[in-house]
Amino acid sequence: MRYGFLIDQRKCIGCHACTVACKSENLVPLGVYRTWVKYVEKGTFPHTRRSFTVLRCNHCDDAPCVAICPTKALFRRPDGIVDFDQSRCIGCKSCMQACPYDAIYIDPITHTAAKCNYCSHRVDQGLLPACVIVCPEKAIIAGDLDDPTSEIHQLVAREPVSVRKPEQGTRPKLFYLGADEANLTPEVQTRENSFLWAEVRPDGRPEEAVRGTELLPGPADARVAYDVWHPKPWGWKVASYLWTKSVASGVLGIAGPLLALGALADRPLFQLGAPLIGLIFLALTVLLLIWDLKRPERFWYLLVKPNPTSWLVWGGYILLLFGALAFLWVVAAWMEASGLLGVLWWLGLPVGIATAGYTAFLFGQAEGRDFWQSPLLLPVLLAQAVVAGAASLVLLGALGGGTQGEARWLAAMLAGGLVVLVVLVASELLTSHSNLHVAKTVELLTRGPYRVELLLVGLGIGVVLPLVALVVGWGSGALTGWSVVAAIAALIGLWSYERIWVSAGQDVPLS
Amino acid sequence: MLRGTSGTTVRQPSTRAVREPFVPERTSGLASYPPPERWDDWEERGPDGRTRRYFLIPTVCFNCEAACGLLAYVDKETLDIRKLEGHPFHPGSRGRNCAKGPATINQVKDPERILYPLRRVGPRGSGKWERVSWDVVLDDIAGRMRQAFLEGRHNEVMYHVGRPGEDGFMERVLWSWGVDGHNSHTNVCSSGGRFGYAVWMGADRPSPDHANARFIFLVSAHLESGHYFNPHAQRIMEAKQRGAKLAVMDPRLSNTAAMADYWLPAAPGTEAFVLLAIANVLIQEGWFDREFVRRWTNWDEYLRVVHPGCPVTFEEFVARLKEIYARYTPEAAEQLSGIPAATIVELARELARAAPAVSTHNWRAAAAAHLGGWTVPRALFFLNVLTGSVGTPGGTQPNIWDKFVPRPFKEPPRQKVWNELTWPKEYPLAHHEMSFLLPHFLKEGRGKLAVYFTRVYNPVWTNPDGFTWIEVLQDESLIELHACLTPTWSETAWYADYVLPMGHGPERHDTFSYETHAARWIGFRQPVLRVAREKLGQSVQYTYEANPGEVWEENEFWMELSWRVDPDGSLGIRQYYESPYRPGQKITVDEYYQWIFENSIPGLPEAAAAEGLTPLQYMRRYGAFEIELQRYRQYEDPVPPEELAQSWIDPENGRIWTTAPAPHSPNMVPVPAEPPGPHGRWAGVMVDGEPKRGFPTPSGKLEFFSRTLYEWGWPEYAIPCTIESHVAPSQIDRSKGEMVLLPNFRVPTLIHTRSGNAKWLNELTHSNPLWLHPSDAERIGVRTGDLVRVETEIGYFVDRVWVTEAIRPGVAACSHHLGRWRLAEGTGGERWTTALVNIERLPDGRYRLRQQHGVRPFASEDPDSQLVFWSDAGVHQNLTFPVQPDPISGQHCWHQKVRIVKAGPDDRYGDVVVDTRKSMEVYRRWLAMTRPAPGPGGLRRPLWMLRPYKPDPSAYRIDSPTGRGDASRRSS
Repeated sequence: MRYGFLIDQRKCIGCHACTVACKSENLVPLGVYRTWVKYVEKGTFPHTRRSFTVLRCNHCDDAPCVAICPTKALFRRPDGIVDFDQSRCIGCKSCMQACPYDAIYIDPITHTAAKCNYCSHRVDQGLLPACVIVCPEKAIIAGDLDDPTSEIHQLVAREPVSVRKPEQGTRPKLFYLGADEANLTPEVQTRENSFLWAEVRPDGRPEEAVRGTELLPGPADARVAYDVWHPKPWGWKVASYLWTKSVASGVLGIAGPLLALGALADRPLFQLGAPLIGLIFLALTVLLLIWDLKRPERFWYLLVKPNPTSWLVWGGYILLLFGALAFLWVVAAWMEASGLLGVLWWLGLPVGIATAGYTAFLFGQAEGRDFWQSPLLLPVLLAQAVVAGAASLVLLGALGGGTQGEARWLAAMLAGGLVVLVVLVASELLTSHSNLHVAKTVELLTRGPYRVELLLVGLGIGVVLPLVALVVGWGSGALTGWSVVAAIAALIGLWSYERIWVSAGQDVPLS
Repeated sequence: MLRGTSGTTVRQPSTRAVREPFVPERTSGLASYPPPERWDDWEERGPDGRTRRYFLIPTVCFNCEAACGLLAYVDKETLDIRKLEGHPFHPGSRGRNCAKGPATINQVKDPERILYPLRRVGPRGSGKWERVSWDVVLDDIAGRMRQAFLEGRHNEVMYHVGRPGEDGFMERVLWSWGVDGHNSHTNVCSSGGRFGYAVWMGADRPSPDHANARFIFLVSAHLESGHYFNPHAQRIMEAKQRGAKLAVMDPRLSNTAAMADYWLPAAPGTEAFVLLAIANVLIQEGWFDREFVRRWTNWDEYLRVVHPGCPVTFEEFVARLKEIYARYTPEAAEQLSGIPAATIVELARELARAAPAVSTHNWRAAAAAHLGGWTVPRALFFLNVLTGSVGTPGGTQPNIWDKFVPRPFKEPPRQKVWNELTWPKEYPLAHHEMSFLLPHFLKEGRGKLAVYFTRVYNPVWTNPDGFTWIEVLQDESLIELHACLTPTWSETAWYADYVLPMGHGPERHDTFSYETHAARWIGFRQPVLRVAREKLGQSVQYTYEANPGEVWEENEFWMELSWRVDPDGSLGIRQYYESPYRPGQKITVDEYYQWIFENSIPGLPEAAAAEGLTPLQYMRRYGAFEIELQRYRQYEDPVPPEELAQSWIDPENGRIWTTAPAPHSPNMVPVPAEPPGPHGRWAGVMVDGEPKRGFPTPSGKLEFFSRTLYEWGWPEYAIPCTIESHVAPSQIDRSKGEMVLLPNFRVPTLIHTRSGNAKWLNELTHSNPLWLHPSDAERIGVRTGDLVRVETEIGYFVDRVWVTEAIRPGVAACSHHLGRWRLAEGTGGERWTTALVNIERLPDGRYRLRQQHGVRPFASEDPDSQLVFWSDAGVHQNLTFPVQPDPISGQHCWHQKVRIVKAGPDDRYGDVVVDTRKSMEVYRRWLAMTRPAPGPGGLRRPLWMLRPYKPDPSAYRIDSPTGRGDASRRSS
């Protein structure tokens, strides 16, 4: 059994009755919507058209929101409905990144995720969803797609139906009949600073992100005349989390092997300093993660109600492991248990890699944000960890009186990390892109509002300045001083890059 | 339901409108509604997982006039309305609603609503209020009314209604008082449309049978607004799915136009010309229905009166028809309107192909826009006539054949006074009251009002020239008492002496019947909380005991008030408020409807008995009753032999008159008619030697030629024609930056100024930017979001621009509904929708309204009020419009000639500046265009035409009493 919707846009008159009936049935607060109507205008007078589409959860058979949800607050019922349980939700918003359809919101009263759930409480009592029964045009057709006697089965079988973003592989169960493709393709749409009878609520998206004219010029220009608010779920806290995690994982991942190889001397400066930095930045990482939760007091649900398919859960375990390692290391260093330390040093490498790298799989589960789906993300994260770790150790060494030899090792690591990172990022941004969504995001970074920050801070301060400083320092013999400059610049550049990467990745609208 | 072969309908007694919703139909076991046998105890699990028990009680939406059914879920434990869904037994809405239906719950639970009667403290309009008891209110008002009646000042009592939302009740009340005191909103709304239809077919509204049409031609936006939005939209789209074509004429791409096969953005003022050009193609090509036109139009009268001496043959008429309309060529139409000639020819061909299943509708839109706007519906209906699509399946017919107003018990006689404040001599043909000129008339010294009721009516905001309204409402010598009956705060309530909270849709009783489709039905609005209490065995004397706070239902208010006006019966009023069941006792609202349902609705008692219910119980349970399906071509009905037996046939036009007594009809829907004279009453018309029922017009036929216009001073407009609009292309000098402002388009989500209390609707819609075509925006030098000043003849407003291809170049459009305001922070306006403003007099005497701040989140018992995210309240345009009454129909002509310029440095968003001295000048200029009564026979108005609250024929004499001290003590 697979309940689904078919929305017959040939009949839909854009009256918003479904939106209001849904609010009434489900007591949806102001500002958020489980179903909404989008208006898009095309053409030039008098050959102008306004077309409507009703947008909502697609009840995907392969729902990315279910996969990413760390606490199984989102789940697929046996009847195909993708439902949610707000009592389990920790408000991490990862489902909002996973959903390619903008269908999920954070309820401003309960601070938990919610979306269309096909009025599952009505379905359980044999009643159709509220939007279906209110529709003046019977344009919303509900039923079991597997039931050959149902209208929806027959229409989907017989008519030229379409779905949103089939390439996402989510197997949506919301079908459209007669929908204008421009309505379903947010990348080609242009949004001005007003709708036809409503404000455009600020969502932090730059103008360039909501302008499609360069991509489809001419009479097919698709201009958004009405839409609802879809803010970007993640902001500076998530960017900062990436940065603190790079520092933590890099410090442990670099210091361990270097200590084992003797490149760093076995003395308290690194022996205790490295794991302490790791612990401090791990704590900051966890703090930022919890702070970003809409229900921070429920953070422990991650451990007691885990969803094994979610990389948020695995990330949590990895961070625990990381913490355990760093803690043991500190204890072993304190107790001067050198045998144990030898093991721990080498464990620093895989645990550091896991800590730095798991985020690639987490962002990979954020199916909505195609820019984050890059196969280069894992190496980029590792390179970032090397840069951040080396830079932190440089600063530690400089503060604590590291030797010239240690400084050279760390400078080499820092330089190497930066070179690899810049090559990876450049190949990401400068080669061809998998789709329009990614292309638009890259355009924002390379030619749009992020260009200046990317070039000046990310590249200039974050890469060029440190490399120059390291070369000068190497050559001049005053490596320690110059590498402090390089390290600070690299860390600043890294944070800036994380910020614009997280921000730009969410700029292109999903609906 | 079986449809007989002869066009008649056989009704199976137990058949209800809709059955399907309780039986899952191809929806894999899911049904639309709980089965009705469980409505008295329905258990439902909510989205929160809690199970509650409900009464499911039908009622009717009170947002727009379509009056769609609602089903209230009343929690049996808390006696609270949980939600309102559609009502599956409602024949018009069939269980489905627009956004405004479910949003009714917002209106009921609005934390801003007025729950108790308020009396002003301090000068009128100063904004201080105190709570008073209903007794105080009723005694004060009743005392003043009694005094006025005793002194023959009957017409100093005026009831001014915005949304009536009911049939029959207020008529009876006003007649019982003997006043000609009804005033309506209609002349700012539909009288242009009504007049255009009335001159053709007598009835002033069309009933298009969209569901069966093959071509639907709208000069309206019925897929998003208007009467009857949801019922019509359902049926229009049904027809369209079956292959019907849809044409929509509108200079703006409405949502309706967006769904059309043909969007016809004719230049404003050229609509009638384009329609006549289509007519001309039908005529010249011979594609029209000759037989229908010959049998059913008064072509012979036209020839006899206008062309005396010419042969009175149909061939002669057709020849002249070709000659008259030859000038409306498609090419000329293209040049004038911008609609391609080829499109006009194509439309004519499509109409001819679709005949006789062409449904048309013009409501508001162009008819309410232009000087001579009434020529638009007239030209549109001409297409029905030419294609023979009148009263046919898929055609359009007079609404009176699809409407049923049940007769109440004991009808009072009609008033013998004539109110010259509403029906002034200057406008003998005005289709409704000259309501929007009331302040101008009062200012001119034409009279005063002792008691002025505004009821669900907000003239300060809605009508043109609102500052003149404010001036007059504040003058306590012109309006001695103003009582505002309203469910919600309005700009007008601010200027009242009493603000009297009245119930929303689920809080009141009404009956009504509308021509939503090819059937006659009646709906019953009921106060669901009262019904729920009664189901629980509690006794409720007055509805306000069950409603929130002390919110009354108006029926009980009027009954109580009338009783107190005449407590001893000496004025002859009290008798109409005595129970038909308990002689001498005050009637209850239950008894009023009980009597109607038992006596005036054919088939209802039988249907009720079949279910073991009384008629009242049946209506309480089902909320609506379909009386009959439409009988098509009713004009072809024969005149019954008993009427023919006592008849006289007018030799000139074949009109059949009869002196046979009119059979008692339980349906008292107003039908155009001459009052009975020496030959009796209209019975029919001879057609090809056969006595037929015909149409309710003087000729008995569709009046291609309006003898009424011909004889009442407008012979040049006696046949379908065009009138140069005040905003026609010839009147607009684009080189001077002049444009046409279309200020009154509606949106699907709001309803005038009555939906400011619905948070979900305001969340969707809260801005009214000025729509401008890119070419105009470029000329003015603005982009979307920039401010412009829109200058009218009496002032200007400042609004943001929305640049769009969805508007004709040279036309600017700005939606109605938005731009609401309040004068105090904490009271006097819904904070979901109003801006806080101040009004000041500038040194030069002009008024300026300026926003202090827009909409903001606010604290209340509803957590949503803190989540208000929009700040825009829109811009109030109507204040800047002078009155522009059409000299014939009386319709306010909404479109404005404006100049639009970039806003200056001192202009702020939402600014409104107006000079009311100029507005009086404009008023006088338009007044001078009239051709006043008396007409033929020394009358104030043609006797046959419809008129709301039609008085006794004696009142039509030009010298009849005006009820300003000259009425008899009891005018009946």
